Amino acid sequence: MQSPSVVEVNDLSFSYGANQVLNGLSLSVMEGEIFGVLGANGSGKTTLMRMMVGLLNRDGGTLAVYGESPSPRQAGRVGYMPQLNALYQELSVRENVDFFARMYGMSDRRTRAREVEDSIDLVGLMPRIDDQVLNLSGGMRQRVSLAIALVHRPSLLLLDEPTVGLDPDLRFIFWGHFRRMADSGTTIMISSHTMDDAAHCDRLAFLRDGRVIALDTPDALRGATGRSDASLEDAFIHFLRMSDD
Amino acid sequence: MSTDRVLAITERIIRQILRDRRSIGLLIVGPLIVMSLVGFSLYDQRAILDRVAPGLLAVFVLFFTFILTGVGFLRERAQGTLERLQTTLVGSFDIMLGYMLGFLIFAIVQTVVILAFTIFALRIEYAGSLWEIGVVLLLVVTVAVSLGIFISSFANNEFQVVQFIPIVLAPQIFLSGVIIPVEQMPDLFEWLSVVLPLTYAVDALREIMLRGTDLTVLWGNLVALTLFSIALLAAAVATLRR
Repeated sequence: MQSPSVVEVNDLSFSYGANQVLNGLSLSVMEGEIFGVLGANGSGKTTLMRMMVGLLNRDGGTLAVYGESPSPRQAGRVGYMPQLNALYQELSVRENVDFFARMYGMSDRRTRAREVEDSIDLVGLMPRIDDQVLNLSGGMRQRVSLAIALVHRPSLLLLDEPTVGLDPDLRFIFWGHFRRMADSGTTIMISSHTMDDAAHCDRLAFLRDGRVIALDTPDALRGATGRSDASLEDAFIHFLRMSDD
Repeated sequence: MSTDRVLAITERIIRQILRDRRSIGLLIVGPLIVMSLVGFSLYDQRAILDRVAPGLLAVFVLFFTFILTGVGFLRERAQGTLERLQTTLVGSFDIMLGYMLGFLIFAIVQTVVILAFTIFALRIEYAGSLWEIGVVLLLVVTVAVSLGIFISSFANNEFQVVQFIPIVLAPQIFLSGVIIPVEQMPDLFEWLSVVLPLTYAVDALREIMLRGTDLTVLWGNLVALTLFSIALLAAAVATLRR
């Protein structure tokens, strides 16, 4: 049986002044899947993510998250990790995660303390929990940012290029987290421009100039090239060329 | 509105400032240096000193709260934390209120330090009560926080926030009666002083501290400061819209 859709995007358009960033973009994300949005810089990935959390208003088309237009009301079940780490440098790891937990409405101190530690533990930062963010490496800051997105146990996780700047080891750890969360029912939508990330997704949308040029499982996208040994990079180039025609 | 979210923002502001020793130094040592310079240079001219001291109190609170909010909020915008906050359940009003309470605490500490210095070191007598001074300064903080948030939306870096000082703060310091009484200024400047919030704060503080005037008599000043606060608050909230 097909899972219900969590995100429905139809013919979405958006422009920054004269610059058309999204141009009739359509896709849907099913419950419990890891959905990847792949594309070059400037293809509209971050704009789409920001629209999904209500930071930008669409110019045209429809966008529904859990059947509603994105709004702050949905923040309780949506976790968002922006491309920029967006952390308070002077605060410790614990203080950063705890602060955002309160912003997500977790007011009970005892429950919150446990959830904060759980999410920090999940990203492997317990040994640095009381260190100021200022003193952490780039990869560690990425992990703090992820812990914030996870702390209120959202059922939809929107991750904007979460693996940028991470070494392969850390990337592997991140993907381990994402797969475990998806297996326990969390829907994950992730943007990336690396094919390494794409291979981990259940389904992928290739973006170009603000529209979807291909959408399917990684295997099906590779298969569409007609070559048995095709990589996802080959598939991406194949669809880019097709969209030129 | 959520009390817990407001308090969380207030706590965060306090933590951030307490960990920034330079800001703490600026908050405490800065006013003391200026008060010492003014106080001891006018030590034999008590009338001028008495008139200037309450005005400087309002200026310091306005100045430091404006700078700290302006730069603090600019950083919120630049480092993406404001945008991240806007993807949570917190509302714009909660953010504003959290900021105000955080800075109010520092403004009160600053006030107590300046008052103690003016009373014990400069030997200036004051008649009113501390809580009445606190009420006026609360409104100054409200004005300064709103102004700082509003102005931060027009600046791209800390340097630009500082460049707003001559435009936004200097006219208030010169035209609100801190140095020269408003009545002695040319008509145009006297008229301009009417639209500056600091004018009402300086007048109220002078009345409370020098003459022991009851706060209920100064209701006009409080209403004017409240109206400035509401107008600036609305302008600041407008810059926080998603």
